[in-house]
Amino acid sequence: MLKESTHIQQSKLAEYCRNGIMPKDLLGVTAENLHHYRRLVFNIALDTLETAYPITHSFLDKEVWDKLNLEYFSEHKCQTPQVWRMPLEFYDHCVKKDIQSQLNLPFLNDLLFFEWLELDVHTMDDIAYPAYTEKGDWMNDIIAINPEHRLVKFSYPVHLFAPTEMTDKTAGDYFLLIYREKESGNVQFMDVSILYAYIFEQINNGVLLKDVLVEANTLFQINDITLLKEHALNFIKDLKQRNFVLGFLKN
Amino acid sequence: MDLKKHIGIGFRKDFSEELLESDILKPAFIELAPENWIGMGGYWKKQLAKAAEKFPITCHGLSLSIGSPDELDYEFINKIKKFMKEYNVKIYSEHLSYAKCDNAHLYDLLPIPFREDAVKHIAKRIKEVQDILEMPLAIENVSYYTPVAAEMDEATFISSIVNESGCNLLLDVNNVYVNSFNHKYNARDFINNLPLDKVSYIHMAGHEQISDTVIIDTHGQAVIDPVYDLFEYTTHLLKPVPVLLERDFNIPELEELQTEITRMENIVAKTWNKKPAIA
Ligand SMILES: [Fe+2]
Repeated sequence: MLKESTHIQQSKLAEYCRNGIMPKDLLGVTAENLHHYRRLVFNIALDTLETAYPITHSFLDKEVWDKLNLEYFSEHKCQTPQVWRMPLEFYDHCVKKDIQSQLNLPFLNDLLFFEWLELDVHTMDDIAYPAYTEKGDWMNDIIAINPEHRLVKFSYPVHLFAPTEMTDKTAGDYFLLIYREKESGNVQFMDVSILYAYIFEQINNGVLLKDVLVEANTLFQINDITLLKEHALNFIKDLKQRNFVLGFLKN
Repeated sequence: MDLKKHIGIGFRKDFSEELLESDILKPAFIELAPENWIGMGGYWKKQLAKAAEKFPITCHGLSLSIGSPDELDYEFINKIKKFMKEYNVKIYSEHLSYAKCDNAHLYDLLPIPFREDAVKHIAKRIKEVQDILEMPLAIENVSYYTPVAAEMDEATFISSIVNESGCNLLLDVNNVYVNSFNHKYNARDFINNLPLDKVSYIHMAGHEQISDTVIIDTHGQAVIDPVYDLFEYTTHLLKPVPVLLERDFNIPELEELQTEITRMENIVAKTWNKKPAIA
């Protein structure tokens, strides 16, 4: 059994590495070397976050960024044993602490999440592709889609413009389709309108396009199903061109 | 391939493409941290598959935190087990340190108090890990910049854990050099005091001297001559084991890494490849 006194010594050193406050009563240490541990530990965390969030990092003032990281690493207990997944915990921490309100940057959550998504979609575990065929009918067959994707909604166009461009006027509903190309593993982004986001979500759920269009026609008060069909088909054929839409599900 | 007389290299994403596409670097095997690859898909999973086709893989973990006061992370250990099975990994090593404490990961290697209760605590955990993985664990002597609450010397601490747990020892020759400098002891005496019959693997690496009194174990420089000397000394005391060159930062041209590998190969060729004398 580990003695309480040994545990306390270990806790003190670990705590110091997280918050940088020089501990008292660490026994038998080479005092002048202790700071290396804080430096080495904190630099790994900082490097990891700066690599994951390059846009946020270069946009925020250095003092703001550093303070944010200092607080995060001292207050938050990192849970993942895999350091490359740790930036997600940073994002969650910022959301929970409502850092964007504190800094008066109402788009910060969106920006962080956008940066995380790029990393996440690039590295996420492989998802098995569905069995599909190239032959089918867009309106009447279930459309097969690359499963390695995310569709997300933002309140600021963080995926379109630099953070310096974000103003009250740019606030709105934005949809981003982000996917990983099968062969290259590259991540691709597509800004889509709310209508196309809706259509995509429905066909991704296996609803037939002809039924989706009837719904969309009413929901978005388009009242021109022919025009809607033409636009929707163009959208889907574009996705097919990108190899994002694969074809048609084999039943 | 017999890993025991040849030299491997730490597999880094920074040079994976060049390693896989060219023949500049000719390691006998590659070592990787399972933490950096478990659950990763896409481009990197493909790279890993290519690497596994070209080289045998050994695993050297980062986050097991065998010296932690916290409970072991069983879910994580089982993921490692699954990963090693998938990539046909036969050797798993970890650091004799702790990287997690009071439910917070630190992602670096902290020095454990060299104490009897820590020996017992860690030996028990090593046995548990070995039972789950159904393979031996090799624990590595780590670099450290200060002892904490020590009640015995480092060699006794390491030896006691190896003896009590029955695990193997990963002897990091550079870490011995770094520690002997930082803590002012004789590196050869230190090695002599280790359970050398349990050494199953060797690490070699570069470091950075940042002041008159401190060397930091960076893995960012070439291996220096005194570390080669200590390595050669060590090879005379050991049976052949796999040797791994660690280079994590400041990656040079692969030709330079191959020069280091060749130098180590020449050293082990002198000692380990000797034909046994005729009886
Ligand atoms: Fe090592």
